[in-house]
Amino acid sequence: MPEILQYSFMVRALLAGLIVALVVPLLGSFLVARRYSLIADSLAHISLAGVGIGVLLGFAPVAMAVPVTVAGALTLEWLRQNRRISGDIGLAILMSSGLAVAIVLVGLAEGRHIDFASYLFGSITTTSPADVITLAIAAGVVLAIVAMNYRALVHIAFDEDSARIAGRHVSLLNYTLVAVTALVVVLSLHIIGGLLISALIVMPVMTAARFAHSFAQTVLLAIGFAVVAVLSGLILAFYAGIAAGGAIVLSALVLLIAALIYKK
Amino acid sequence: MSSAKTSPDSAKPLHATEPLIDIDDVSVRIGQETVLDRVTFCVHPSEFIGLVGPNGAGKTTLLRVVLGLAQPQKGSVKRAATTFGYIPQRGGLQAANVPISVLEVVRLGANGNVAKARQALQDVRMQDTAHRQFNELSGGQQQRVIIAKALASDARMLIMDEPTTGIDDRSQTEFYALLRALQQAGMTILMVSHEVDTVLSLVTRVICLNNSILYDGPPKHFEADTYLPQAYKAQHVQLHHRHKDIAHA
Repeated sequence: MPEILQYSFMVRALLAGLIVALVVPLLGSFLVARRYSLIADSLAHISLAGVGIGVLLGFAPVAMAVPVTVAGALTLEWLRQNRRISGDIGLAILMSSGLAVAIVLVGLAEGRHIDFASYLFGSITTTSPADVITLAIAAGVVLAIVAMNYRALVHIAFDEDSARIAGRHVSLLNYTLVAVTALVVVLSLHIIGGLLISALIVMPVMTAARFAHSFAQTVLLAIGFAVVAVLSGLILAFYAGIAAGGAIVLSALVLLIAALIYKK
Repeated sequence: MSSAKTSPDSAKPLHATEPLIDIDDVSVRIGQETVLDRVTFCVHPSEFIGLVGPNGAGKTTLLRVVLGLAQPQKGSVKRAATTFGYIPQRGGLQAANVPISVLEVVRLGANGNVAKARQALQDVRMQDTAHRQFNELSGGQQQRVIIAKALASDARMLIMDEPTTGIDDRSQTEFYALLRALQQAGMTILMVSHEVDTVLSLVTRVICLNNSILYDGPPKHFEADTYLPQAYKAQHVQLHHRHKDIAHA
């Protein structure tokens, strides 16, 4: 048995990483297609505010981050749909506000033990069996939602007006997409880290787009590239003793650069 | 009251069938500006209507009202219980950074039905492009594919917003020939266009809009010199004032 598999925390990290690699580029394909690539960054920052609230109130930080981040995502979508504020401005406001709230709350919670950096950059050693099970259930929910609404989600991603005219439930599906994205972002905090998650949303999709001829191919290739990036990143992190989140994102970056060179 | 002028033989058209679209006394304001002022018209099956007018006349807003994408502050909009196909300007698909194949685009209209999507592609003579990336096609080809998507959805009416903008002359000619064939096969078409000469040679009815309807009737009675200068003149006066304002600022 390879040395990496002799450590239970690495087995958990690999399992969790594979689940993230399956779900994040799947959602990423829809988000990139509708020019919403930065949403994960904003949601990750809001999730840090949720972590801060959890620490201050003495709740489990991730459990607190889920409702806070989903609420932030729904607010963002409401602002966009009601044209109160344009998408990129909404993302920028929520991104900085989320981080500001997190910093203030963690400051107020001084004295309580919290490794805030692990939420920013990921920490594979803190992935518990419960984390893996929660992530697997969440992934199942996301896969079911996407499978049941795949055609409508593609329609909305490429032509929202036409989808509306065709009677698709555009508003409901937009809210659903950002809500499940928020859920996945929070549950990926331990693996990738809040500041790095958007890389796994965008890079595998853009790498896949260099080779694919259809949207379905893009989704499948993006998942494949994400699996390669996560596995190589975790293996590199284990043997080189470097941060897992950073190693995963750098692996994804190497794949993207190679694709850009190979398919100019 | 709308001051629409109707031609002698179109004032009260007699149609045996119910209209597909019935717009009654519709007004739309955006901010302080009245974009549509008491607009009234019906669209009956198999009509080919050209909607002309200057920039800012409210043509796109009117299409959005017709499609149910915008709500009027006044008036009523009735749509027949049927499918409408929307063909926006070139580049109507919003994502250029993620590939989507031609077949996938048409399947969006066919609700996933591959056979129906292939048939629709054949109807617009684009079957050879089924597995190519949509964004690799020329503007004219893209518009044919978007029409195939509408046909695959069993649309009875096509609503088009300047569909030939940015398309070369040859592709435009082919595109208009396709529209003529579709109309002869019974398709109802409402098309916004700046190309007045082409519109007049193609359509069965012209509506000239400049916030309100200036003319509504057959192309043979549409005196472009009478109505379009009115419409375009208003725009030129506006532009002149805007330039003066900028110069004085």
